[in-house]
Amino acid sequence: MESILFYLFAVLMLGSAVMTVTSRSAVAAAVWLVFCFVNAAGVFALLSAPFLAILQILIYAGAIMVLFLFVIMMLQGPVLPDERERRPWSRIAVLVLPPASAAVILIAWLARGGVTAFSGAQPAVRGTAEAVAELLLNRYLLAFELISVVLLVAIVGAMALGRRKEELPWK
Amino acid sequence: MELVVSSLLKIAFLLTVILGLVPVLIWAERKGSAFIQDRTGPNRASVLGIRLGGLVHPIADVMKLLFKEDFRPENAHRFLYALAPFLVFFIALLTYAVIPFGDFIRIGGVEYQLVVADLNVGILYVLAIASLGTYGVVMGGWASNNKYAFLGAVRSTSQMISYEISMGLSIIGLMLIFSSLRLTDIVAGQGGAIWNWGFAMQPLGAILFIVAVFAETNRNPFDLPEGESELVSGYHLEYSSMKFALFFMAEYTNMVIGAALITTLFFGGWNIPWLTRSVIEGHAGTILPVHLVIQAVVMGLISLLFFRRAARERDKFGDARDREPGFMGVVTALMALGAAGSFALKPWAIGVDAASIYATLLQVGAFVGKVVFFCWVFIWVRWTLPRFRYDQLMGLGWKVMLPLALANVVLTAIWLAIV
Repeated sequence: MESILFYLFAVLMLGSAVMTVTSRSAVAAAVWLVFCFVNAAGVFALLSAPFLAILQILIYAGAIMVLFLFVIMMLQGPVLPDERERRPWSRIAVLVLPPASAAVILIAWLARGGVTAFSGAQPAVRGTAEAVAELLLNRYLLAFELISVVLLVAIVGAMALGRRKEELPWK
Repeated sequence: MELVVSSLLKIAFLLTVILGLVPVLIWAERKGSAFIQDRTGPNRASVLGIRLGGLVHPIADVMKLLFKEDFRPENAHRFLYALAPFLVFFIALLTYAVIPFGDFIRIGGVEYQLVVADLNVGILYVLAIASLGTYGVVMGGWASNNKYAFLGAVRSTSQMISYEISMGLSIIGLMLIFSSLRLTDIVAGQGGAIWNWGFAMQPLGAILFIVAVFAETNRNPFDLPEGESELVSGYHLEYSSMKFALFFMAEYTNMVIGAALITTLFFGGWNIPWLTRSVIEGHAGTILPVHLVIQAVVMGLISLLFFRRAARERDKFGDARDREPGFMGVVTALMALGAAGSFALKPWAIGVDAASIYATLLQVGAFVGKVVFFCWVFIWVRWTLPRFRYDQLMGLGWKVMLPLALANVVLTAIWLAIV
């Protein structure tokens, strides 16, 4: 069961990553990237790291990509002419991709006795909220706080660069 | 196998409740707005003269939407235009998986938890799915290739980002108090007295969360992505037929889920104040008869009112509509008789198993009742407050709610450290 789901998520993730790079439309590429993140979250969940899986969706798919889409749409505006027409190979892709992913899953299912790499790699509970908090807020506390400071500096720097010169407080 | 069957049954129950609530809420929205604006509201559609106070209207609506032309604008992005309404509705339904609607039901000595997926990161799951909800709106608005729909989509993204942060921060205090991310733990921690409920321990967090839920569900006063006075009808402007209906249903589904979240996190979930499970099970022999008596008396009084009206307005319209109060009177009288008649089954001598199931039913009833109440609050607010201006919306989100939510987190942490 786990290995079937793993190959399903893996195929969908790689496929949508390819679509992200090849899409002509920036908005479509962003949507494919969101789908890619959702599948990556599925892989995390299979690796018994539910906390990471949820954070992957919450932060990458839910917040950062919404911001990306916002920027893309602000710069580009509504649908461009060459995004409207259907490209000839899109129909071929629709015909080929589902059987291809089904085949990969079938192969995984047939070879389930031989595949040990994934099913044996179950770590002892490590991706839960408690475990991550233990690592971040106890063991690596100093590094964690230093990274926070670096991020804060980056935010302030971005704000300062984004402002017009005459608005800066020290002018 | 048993897990699959019990999960399917729970999913079926939730779907029935939610999808059943949607037409009722549409009716409540119309009748409620009519009540608030001193009008009559919908009262024309009828089945054999029975109008049920406009409750038949959603059926007429569905017929109309099913038979309308499914129109697609010439220059739309085909795939995303078709995908958006399904995505909106799908994501709206996903969140229910982690919301507990009762503690457990004991059948044949086996206890089944009344939640579909009891995730140990339940709250974060809710936030994650809620943050995905905006994609359907954005895709629909952008792919329609219409400037008004496009502006609705842009507004939706920025509004979502602004309010999601306050939403997440406003429940951190709750997580600190119950020291768990699991929704069943949080609900169980709110048992007993009413001051154990989340809103009593986290009043500021509760207010911030409710405001943020309003903003995330795009309900008035935060319905700027729709903004019909400025953007015609915003992101779903170009949609017609069942695709529009999916957007429309998703709005009400989101409302039910917002209400369910407010209930679960801040208003005790399935808990009834002071009547914990052990109290109900221990005194089922007294609670059940009292409950039945109250039900019989209340339904009997309602049916008397209907019959009095039927007698008084016998020839008011001179057509099938005159039968309506009498019909309702018979229905409510039957409900009263049912409650009274069940005394023949000796409710004071209820068994242990039946008492357990009765306690579960009371809890599920309490949960559904609270959810319906908060759905009504959504409608109430919509027809009471005017819409924000866009700069006011951003100012409220970043300059008021975010600092307040941060202060709430800090104060809760200090309080917990001292106590």
